[in-house]
Amino acid sequence: MKQFYTHLVEIEEIIVELDKLDLSDEQRHHLASLVDSSLHHTILDAILSELKEEDKRVFLKHVHDGEHDKLWEFLNGKVDNVEDKIKKSAEQLKVEMHKDLKEARQKRSTTKVDD
Amino acid sequence: MNFTSKNEPFEHLRKVWTSKHRNLQDKIWDKHKESLSWIGRTISPRSLALGSLGGLLLLTAPQSGSFNTQIASTQGVLEGVDTNVLLADQLKDIVPKEVRPLDKTEEGDITKTLSQVFGFKVTSELEGIKLNRNYGLIGGEQHLYRYPGDNLQAHADSSGDWAKYGGSGIAPGLGAWGYFAPSKLEFTEKDKQKERYYLAIQTFLAPGFAENVGKYRDFFKHRKMLIVNPKTGQAVVAVIGDAGPAEFTGKHLGGSPEVMDVVGLAGGPRKGAVLYFFIDDPKDEIPLGPIKIKNFS
Repeated sequence: MKQFYTHLVEIEEIIVELDKLDLSDEQRHHLASLVDSSLHHTILDAILSELKEEDKRVFLKHVHDGEHDKLWEFLNGKVDNVEDKIKKSAEQLKVEMHKDLKEARQKRSTTKVDD
Repeated sequence: MNFTSKNEPFEHLRKVWTSKHRNLQDKIWDKHKESLSWIGRTISPRSLALGSLGGLLLLTAPQSGSFNTQIASTQGVLEGVDTNVLLADQLKDIVPKEVRPLDKTEEGDITKTLSQVFGFKVTSELEGIKLNRNYGLIGGEQHLYRYPGDNLQAHADSSGDWAKYGGSGIAPGLGAWGYFAPSKLEFTEKDKQKERYYLAIQTFLAPGFAENVGKYRDFFKHRKMLIVNPKTGQAVVAVIGDAGPAEFTGKHLGGSPEVMDVVGLAGGPRKGAVLYFFIDDPKDEIPLGPIKIKNFS
């Protein structure tokens, strides 16, 4: 699903790191869901935190309707440098995820044998 | 003796990212409870589940299995199924049971139906050019390089894209018309959509191709087409991005990983019967991607 912020957030580096792990299809889907959902929560929180209560409702309605042009017109009128704020919040999350990926790669897969 | 395999890197990430995700959920609800509750009351649960806010409002705990299922159900393969089932019902009486070239009457009946339900002109012949057939077996293709220096990972708009389509890989050679853009700098959203929803069509088997190679090559380049799975009604607007597959494969056309997903043929053998016709769209007004029926009689 194309999100309204897709053009602002590059996730290529995260994917390159995930590709280095030996994951089954199910594991790939599971981690991908966590990445996308975490990013979505982070970005929505960053935007909602900049809006007044009544504006939050308008914004959420636009997100739900998937009307990206209207959504951007609205956001640009309500929040200064909203694109930079989105990029910054996503970048912070990506830095954390990179750290987690680095730690994960240091773990080694094991096979346990039980008699 | 029992062997238990444990993928430690995965387990580590699953644990850490699930916990962080839970914290993010708690945080957003704590801070914006009033507005999130409002939207939850305003929009129907089914509509919410299918939209961008589904994950935010319907999920309670990102536990293994159920988490994946719920996220996945809002995306990809289910898109286009609901109302398009009505189209499948209408097509079942006019599409032949066996997969073979259509005769004139069948072609006319089917294009008339498709034009009517989608609201634009769907045709088997455009500018005097026809394909060798309009009903055949589609097989899954790989991604294509879009500009010099492109890579597989750059194709994904989200991690979900990577999980779903990354496994298809990327073709070692270029498509029949080369790169979609001369450089990354000149690569546009339109180019991106063309690769995402591309078809490999047996253009070389079109009647008259050998006598008019230059003319046909230009005509087929990124020509817009409608692909319909007649069994489910799932449909996608795509462009011709490559020539193929070879006749000996037994397949009649190929679809990008995204095309295969939209028409519900991404699983199992990644192959199935589809209808494929030109779209007459001289002003380039019909967007590429999944399409739902507009009119139904």
